Amino acid sequence: MASYEDCVAGPLEGHVERREALLKLERVTQSFRMNNGVELVVLKELDLEIIDIKFKPQIVSLLGPSGSGKTTALRIIAGLDKPKFGQVLIGDGEQGSLRRVRAGDVGVVFQRYPLFDDLRVVDNLVEPAVRIGKMSRKEALDQALQYLDRFNLVRQGYSWPVQLSGGQRQRVAILQQLITGKKFIVLDEPFSGLDPISVSNAIQLISEIAHQHTLNTFIIVTHDVSAALLISDHVYLLGRERDEKGNPLPGARVVKVYDLIAEGIAYRDNMEDLPRYRELYKQICRKDFPLL
Amino acid sequence: MQENKLSSLLKLRGEITKPIRLALLSGWMLLFLIFWIFSPMKALPTPTEVLLALRRMFAEQHLLYHLVVTLKLNIVGLVYATVVSLLISYLGTLPLFYHLNRAVQLLRYIPFVGFNLIFLTLFTIGFPLKVAWLTTGMSFFLVTGMTAVIESIPRMKYELAQVLGYNGWQTFYTVVARPTLPHMMDIVAQNAAIGWVMITSIETYARTEGGIGAQIYQYSSTNNLAEVYGLLMLIGLIAAVEDAIFVFLRRMLFPYSTLAERA
Ligand SMILES: Nc1ncnc2c1ncn2[C@@H]1O[C@H](COP(=O)(O)OP(=O)(O)OP(=O)(O)O)[C@@H](O)[C@H]1O
Ligand SMILES: [Mg+2]
Repeated sequence: MASYEDCVAGPLEGHVERREALLKLERVTQSFRMNNGVELVVLKELDLEIIDIKFKPQIVSLLGPSGSGKTTALRIIAGLDKPKFGQVLIGDGEQGSLRRVRAGDVGVVFQRYPLFDDLRVVDNLVEPAVRIGKMSRKEALDQALQYLDRFNLVRQGYSWPVQLSGGQRQRVAILQQLITGKKFIVLDEPFSGLDPISVSNAIQLISEIAHQHTLNTFIIVTHDVSAALLISDHVYLLGRERDEKGNPLPGARVVKVYDLIAEGIAYRDNMEDLPRYRELYKQICRKDFPLL
Repeated sequence: MQENKLSSLLKLRGEITKPIRLALLSGWMLLFLIFWIFSPMKALPTPTEVLLALRRMFAEQHLLYHLVVTLKLNIVGLVYATVVSLLISYLGTLPLFYHLNRAVQLLRYIPFVGFNLIFLTLFTIGFPLKVAWLTTGMSFFLVTGMTAVIESIPRMKYELAQVLGYNGWQTFYTVVARPTLPHMMDIVAQNAAIGWVMITSIETYARTEGGIGAQIYQYSSTNNLAEVYGLLMLIGLIAAVEDAIFVFLRRMLFPYSTLAERA
């Protein structure tokens, strides 16, 4: 098993070792009956595959316009909702074996960062760690304090969740999922409603966590093009395809995948200064980003 | 500065200092006393008459005994009703027991005295009858309030437990039972008042043991109004103390519940 020490810092040198699929969406279709009785197809035969990259933190983005079905897809990935058709498969630790996802397999950081408000911050980490992470209370407390220290939350350890700032809440919510040993963590719009500085802080924070937990895969759901490019190694663009006349077909799917490792801009500092980053950004904003 | 302080008395969520709060309280009490003393209602006994009546009842009429009888009913009934109501409210989260929970809530519309015949066939007149009756009567109201608290838990909280991987019991304890405790306590405190309405009627109906309700019945049937008002004031005093105990317990046991949501 890879550990933190095995993780290669900085950009990838030479070839990238890609391994088997970790998470797979197969022809996921979801629809809702609307109030006028019409069935609204939100996702249509959505295919998506996340491949393990050896010794690298892994962050992928699901990018799409507002209303394209990102949250819908996230809830299906997390096992909170069942799709009408199709399935989500997840690696169960053993090489190459996939099984259907169940609620609890995938950690979710919800958009509003719900926490257990009747537990102090540290207990919001300790309790799940003991119950799900299979730690003893002492191990859990050590681990929780270590996390809080590393993410600049020590002084908030014995605060109540309602006393936290938005950014602190976000960090605790991420740590809560981490400490239970989730292999996958999905974040719903972690950058929405943040000022530009806070966005770059959040990007840095999530990358940092990912670098320290190279065994985890983070899936970021967002409509922020630059944030998606800055943070991910792969970006999946979600949108509706068009027919010959240019009319959108019902139901969103992955219309394009950007492999930022192949593009040479993944895992780099000051990525915003790279010409390739700027080209891609323009391409997505002006051409690729699907209208809904 | 002084003006600022006074103007906050009529400001929305205005803040006042402790001395001003105490002054306000004394002011209101004084106003009440003046109103009482100079009341045009001739049937109303004077404060002195009421105090004398209270002293007489304590000294000669075993008021302390009656007080203990009533307090015992009050506390035992409240404890039973809380336990029973919590159980029915919690069970209401399971589809199997949903309708049972609804039915109990609807029963609060049925006049409470209507249940005396049912209890008379089950118990002979005495403490068990009174407790059973009070527990039942209060539970209709408690279950309604407690169920509303449970229903107001955001779906997000259940989903947080779900994605963490909590099982049914862990989710129930973490999302339903534990965080609602302070609210449940509020519900009990609110309904303790209804409990006192019921206690006085129950004790009027089942008088053999005595109790404040029985005393009120006895004194009002003999037109001893000073005694009746004395007893009513005594109940008011007990209620105020009980309320303060609930507030104190809430602060002690659930400090987070007094913090306001910020975002
Ligand atoms: N339970 C539901 N019932 C009916 N319609 C729904 C339901 N959930 C989602 N939808 C619809 O599905 C579409 C996609 O919603 P979704 O929340 O997944 O979008 P999104 O991509 O997350 O958008 P945003 O970026 O604004 O959060 C919307 O048109 C929405 O109205
Ligand atoms: Mg969304």
